[in-house]
Amino acid sequence: MGLVEFAAAKTLASSAVFLFITVLLMAAAKRTNRCIKLFAIQCAVITAQIAALAFMRHSAEAFAVAALVFLVKVIAIPYALLRISRQLKVTPAVVVSTTPVQSVFIVAGLMLLAFAVVQPYARAFALDSEMLAAATAIILTGGFLMISRKKALMQVIGLLVLENGIFLAALTTTFGMPFVIEMGIFFDLLVCVLLLGIFVFRIRETFEHVDVSRLRRLKG
Amino acid sequence: MINLSFNSCLVLLLAAPVVTLALARWKNTRYLPAFLLLAALIASGGAALGTLLGRGGVSLDLTWLAPYPFALALDRLSAWFLLLLSAAGAPVVLFSASYVERHYKGARRHWLWALLPLFLLSMALVLTAATAFAFLFGWELMTLFSAGLVAIDGFDGERRRSIFIYLVMMHAGAAAVIGAFLGFLPHAANLDFASVRAGAPFMTVGARATIFLLAFVGFGVKAGIVPLHLWLPKAHPIAPSPVSALMSGVMLKTAVYGFIRFAFDLLGAGIPAWCGYLVLVAGAVSALLGILYGLYEHDLKRLLAYSSVENIGIVFMGMGAAMIFNAQGALGWAALALMGALLHSLNHALFKSLLFLGAGAITDATHTQDLEKLGGLLGNMRGTGIAILVACCSIIGLPLFNGFTGEWLAFRSFLAGGELSDVKAAIVLPLAAGVLALVGGLAAACFAKVYSVAFLGRPRSAEAAHAHDVPWAMQAGMALLAAACIAIGVAPSMVLGLAGSIAQQLIPGAVVPVAAGTFFQFIPWVAVFVLAVVVLGLLIPRVSRITPTWACGMPGLDSRMQYTSTSFSKPVRKVFNRVYQPQRTVEILPANQPFFPSSISYRSVRTTTYERLYRPAVNAIINAARGLGRAQTGNIQVYLLYMFLALIAALIYMRFS
Amino acid sequence: MRIALDLVQFLVLIATAPLLRGVVARVKARIQNRRGASVFRPYFDLWKLFRKEDLVPPTASLLFRLCPVILWAATVAAAAFIPVLRTSALLGNQGDIVLLVYLLALGRFFLMLGAMDGGSSFGGMGASREALVSTLAEAPLLLGLIAIAIVSHGASIATIVQWTAARAPFELSPAHAFACVALVLVTIAETGRIPVDNPTTHLELTMIHEAMVLEYSGPSLALIEWSSAIKLNLMLSLLVALFVPWGMAASDSIPALAIAAGVWVVKMAVLAVALAALESSMAKLRMYKVPEYLGMATAAAILAVVFTAYKR
Repeated sequence: MGLVEFAAAKTLASSAVFLFITVLLMAAAKRTNRCIKLFAIQCAVITAQIAALAFMRHSAEAFAVAALVFLVKVIAIPYALLRISRQLKVTPAVVVSTTPVQSVFIVAGLMLLAFAVVQPYARAFALDSEMLAAATAIILTGGFLMISRKKALMQVIGLLVLENGIFLAALTTTFGMPFVIEMGIFFDLLVCVLLLGIFVFRIRETFEHVDVSRLRRLKG
Repeated sequence: MINLSFNSCLVLLLAAPVVTLALARWKNTRYLPAFLLLAALIASGGAALGTLLGRGGVSLDLTWLAPYPFALALDRLSAWFLLLLSAAGAPVVLFSASYVERHYKGARRHWLWALLPLFLLSMALVLTAATAFAFLFGWELMTLFSAGLVAIDGFDGERRRSIFIYLVMMHAGAAAVIGAFLGFLPHAANLDFASVRAGAPFMTVGARATIFLLAFVGFGVKAGIVPLHLWLPKAHPIAPSPVSALMSGVMLKTAVYGFIRFAFDLLGAGIPAWCGYLVLVAGAVSALLGILYGLYEHDLKRLLAYSSVENIGIVFMGMGAAMIFNAQGALGWAALALMGALLHSLNHALFKSLLFLGAGAITDATHTQDLEKLGGLLGNMRGTGIAILVACCSIIGLPLFNGFTGEWLAFRSFLAGGELSDVKAAIVLPLAAGVLALVGGLAAACFAKVYSVAFLGRPRSAEAAHAHDVPWAMQAGMALLAAACIAIGVAPSMVLGLAGSIAQQLIPGAVVPVAAGTFFQFIPWVAVFVLAVVVLGLLIPRVSRITPTWACGMPGLDSRMQYTSTSFSKPVRKVFNRVYQPQRTVEILPANQPFFPSSISYRSVRTTTYERLYRPAVNAIINAARGLGRAQTGNIQVYLLYMFLALIAALIYMRFS
Repeated sequence: MRIALDLVQFLVLIATAPLLRGVVARVKARIQNRRGASVFRPYFDLWKLFRKEDLVPPTASLLFRLCPVILWAATVAAAAFIPVLRTSALLGNQGDIVLLVYLLALGRFFLMLGAMDGGSSFGGMGASREALVSTLAEAPLLLGLIAIAIVSHGASIATIVQWTAARAPFELSPAHAFACVALVLVTIAETGRIPVDNPTTHLELTMIHEAMVLEYSGPSLALIEWSSAIKLNLMLSLLVALFVPWGMAASDSIPALAIAAGVWVVKMAVLAVALAALESSMAKLRMYKVPEYLGMATAAAILAVVFTAYKR
């Protein structure tokens, strides 16, 4: 089993780096479909990490969680999003309020912030500071994507990335929440995505565009 | 021996104007002032070198001359800058011997030769002052004499405004420096450097920080730190070229000297750590903005003035890094960073003086400073062209020229900063290296533009086509500076040793890391290697034939089709649009046939943001002055009332304090 | 003995540079469904150029003939710093990272001067674009190198290579990963390959490097072409030495050196194929998209530096 152990150890050591890279590429992405695929890759990395952790701790439950993550987040949700994107027939470009270069620099700054913020907690509770920083960075990037991208579908992706980060943070601090809760969260997530997809269609039909920055009637 | 040299230097500098004005009538004594000045500078250089090599110092007490303590002393730090003054000043004087002869007649020439030694004397005073009074006296004189020298070329209209701004800003800076000195008063009654040094450890951290900030602002105005640099691009271009060379090469360094004296010597240890970060960031911003504004210019002297802002920024970055290392306890690296700052000051004095002298030579040959009207000068002005090429390579920091030594020291210390345990320093210092790299790249673009537009290609105007080289004295002055640049570039070890001893003296307990020394002993080998390969390349046998330049097969290629200074800098200007925020007007004539124009005019004006920053401050001062003016009613009884109130207040204070 | 080995290493780098170019061109041709010229074609080109006449424009000054020679000398001197077979090279000292970058800058500066000396618009266009690209590429290059130097507690290429070679293969520290990204992006920009510049274009308006050398011919052009080939070889070998140095000879014995040579050839072949594939799959970027591209490299380099501070 030496090779599998080696692979598991390598995965755990390097997954943080891959997560950082996917975060940066998402900030720089200029096409919605590319963002969706990057989200799928990000979830795949998280799956690999859970599987490696499950192997190291010999926990069958964790393997089940890994399989669930894989099915829901790597296969089901991206497939649903890609279908919605195709049916919406909007322009493939991501309309942004910040250019790709500015977004990359802002996300780099958020990563620096994540590192700076996480240090005392990681030391106090003896956690892996790199993974915790990665989780915080993903949360912040999800928020940034929701703020700076104008198309409604990108808002959905931003929300999913945000949830990804929260899940990763939970994973790092407590090695996962109770199994039932995780199942519930995944189911909620799936329903959420389907509902949001329907809403996006309705927005399109009512307003004939999906540009969120033009929806300004939420006032008193 | 050193005492004798120094005293003779002072005497010569004092005697020179007297002699000039006395012998103004006789034509044969034309070159006497230059000769006296050269002798004086050689004497001061000898004194400085002797002190640096450890053969003793100078101590001169002139308190009997002045109402306050007035003493001069030459320790290693002063000697370094005095050496800088002599090394840069002597070739400039040699250049001026011929330049002044050709361009100034009658009274203006006499005034120039009278004010120049006094200017040099005032700078020597500042550098060797051992009491606050001597320092400030020299500081004031420096401002006045340099303003006088700038005014020699004319005092009307726009020039008057520029000189006025220069004087006002210099005095504001001097006020800050006076404030900084006065801050020592409670602890050092005498205000000479020895007692200040002794009294500093008893001051609170807050007091030291206040004094440091006042000194930083005061010296920053003189040195040209953004946003206090406004006077630099106004005053340097309108001065005669030798004067610009001295102002940019030496006068700015007196401010650097003052800052080092305050930050490392007088205030000692115990400046809070954030001061170092402040200096580093201010230096980085100055360096970046200086070179960005320089890229925009096509007036040669204004471009060089902005480039001075950039280089002073680099010097301050080195000093800021030294302060950060000092606060972190990494004394060896602090010494290395300080060495870098010292060395870059010396190098800048040499190559910036050379560049300004070159601008003077170009003006002499073509009567213009505008890059857009030059071109192809290398064919006719070979000596000048080669000297300026050396200067351009040095200012960019290319290896085997002297600019590289200071920049390498800065990079090496920033690299070492990454290994500190304090996270903030470990991130900020290497990122400063990134800023320095960007600045270096921009400088390369800027000076590639300057040299290639001025000296290469086809002449863009008739004056440039008919230029011929300048007289031998001017070329000799430039050649001396160029030789110094190459000498320090190829074999920097001796100068490094001197700078290292100064740094180790200023930061007690520091030992310069050995690695620095071995690297610079390695440079001559690289030089030999490169030279060997160059010789090999030149030995390749080749047959040459002159053919027309490729113009897509179309005839009539003329000088208008070349890239101009504006077009060369266009890509960089476009990328950094946010910094410049230009206002562009393009006019195409005739308007009804836009695709077959007979003339296109393009005008791009940079938005000067700093003058907008100054406007509220200036308005506030004027309003405050007006408000105070209302207290002057003109009525004698009201004035008597003011005096009476002041008397009552003094009595109350005396009773209850 | 050691000096002889280092000299051999250095000469290998200089001599195989045109071969690398030939291999990349051949692989590109195969990808584009052509047969392609022989991989030794650049050698024949150099031989032809050295025997031709030097055509000089009428505005040329004494710098015109000197610039290609200085460019070649600077590039050759830079090549003397790169470890190929052993973990140290012919020239090297503590702090030579900066010297390496600035030697390349020396060559580039004189190339820009030579371009403007021709007195035509094309030279100016090439020089001003090259000024932009090199300005923006210097910061990520130096920051990436500094980040790796900080992690390996050294300041020279030899120290970095020895530190990396002593660790287990493929340990991916975040600083190394981001520095690698930054340096790969910068290498493509510095050596003038697609997507930054097209080395085989004939359209003057799309040129950066080629526009600068438009006026050169004969032995001068041969020196310039050879210099750009050496630069490609140098930068790729530097990437290999800094990030995947395993296989380099630890001792001076013949078997170890033979293995090191073979491993180096394999690594360079992989990089050549990757470069060719990259060039065939992407289009050249518009000129004003290049600053965005270099901005990404700068962000990656800044992150590499940030990671060096936090990974302790």
